[in-house]
Amino acid sequence: MDPATERALVLRCRAGDDDAFRELVDEYKNLVFALIARTVQDRGRAEDLAQEVFLRVHRGLPYFRGEARLSTWIYRIVANVCVQDQSRGRTHVSLDDERTSVRPSAADPQFRDLELRDRLEKAIARLPPNYRLLVAAHYLEGIQYEELAAALQLPLGTLKTQLHRAKQQLRRLLETDLR
Amino acid sequence: MFCDEALEVVESIAAGDLIADGRIAGHLETCADCAAALESARRVERLLRQRAAPSAPAHFTAATLGRVRRARWQSDQWLDAGFNLAVAAIVVAIVAAVWMVLNRSGLAAVSGDAVHLFGSGLATFADRVAPAVPLYAGAAALLATALGIWWWAEGKA
Repeated sequence: MDPATERALVLRCRAGDDDAFRELVDEYKNLVFALIARTVQDRGRAEDLAQEVFLRVHRGLPYFRGEARLSTWIYRIVANVCVQDQSRGRTHVSLDDERTSVRPSAADPQFRDLELRDRLEKAIARLPPNYRLLVAAHYLEGIQYEELAAALQLPLGTLKTQLHRAKQQLRRLLETDLR
Repeated sequence: MFCDEALEVVESIAAGDLIADGRIAGHLETCADCAAALESARRVERLLRQRAAPSAPAHFTAATLGRVRRARWQSDQWLDAGFNLAVAAIVVAIVAAVWMVLNRSGLAAVSGDAVHLFGSGLATFADRVAPAVPLYAGAAALLATALGIWWWAEGKA
């Protein structure tokens, strides 16, 4: 969405136009949902948190000054909602959790790949919340480095360093399984 | 020592942010551990790039707008309750102030007669209105039912 259209949409939302807010939700719902679903794993919880994001957007629109892009502001809300949710109660996820692990036939490469993905998701769940969000956002199409840095209020260099560390931690968590 | 340096950049090489220069490339060719780490980093990078990006469910927009409406309605309810409480407090304060002024100025004794007059007027009015009470009660019940249905529908929306 170009900045002019974005500004017009925000103005219409602020004037109490419900159709404009519907447009805003439709525009950002997939990115917001994907970002949260990649961070919290549980789809039901992700839906609840994504709705919470739009509730906060609706409440905050009268105070949105338009200094940042609307998308940047929304990603910042996503980050706050995810971090708050994760600080409420974090369960330790083991990479060998019997209850949820995929138990493939070792010889089948497709199943082997499925197992790797399963282990990757569990390894991501063990990352600190800010790293988890970074990994979720960076590999999501449509989110730029600069926008992510602005949303998380981090200098671009720090963001890249944190992303690098997050991937390093992931590799170390998975290393024994991948070899 | 050089392994530490190489391991520090394997993620960047795997992501394509950095091209291994002669020294690092040479080390990666000779050090099995670092080469394995680079291979792991490449796999992690590939898996991360292939990670599914789930779409929001079909009912998401409707559910979100419903939740926003409910939240707005609840906040309006609080606002209404606050306003009603403020009005009630102001009325109580005015009545108390009037009563204190009447008491201090000695007008309370005179106002006793006014209260008596008002009371008898009220009784006459009640006598005249009494035959129509069932009609008024029915209308009030209908209004209350309509308000109840509206309140319930707003709560469900």
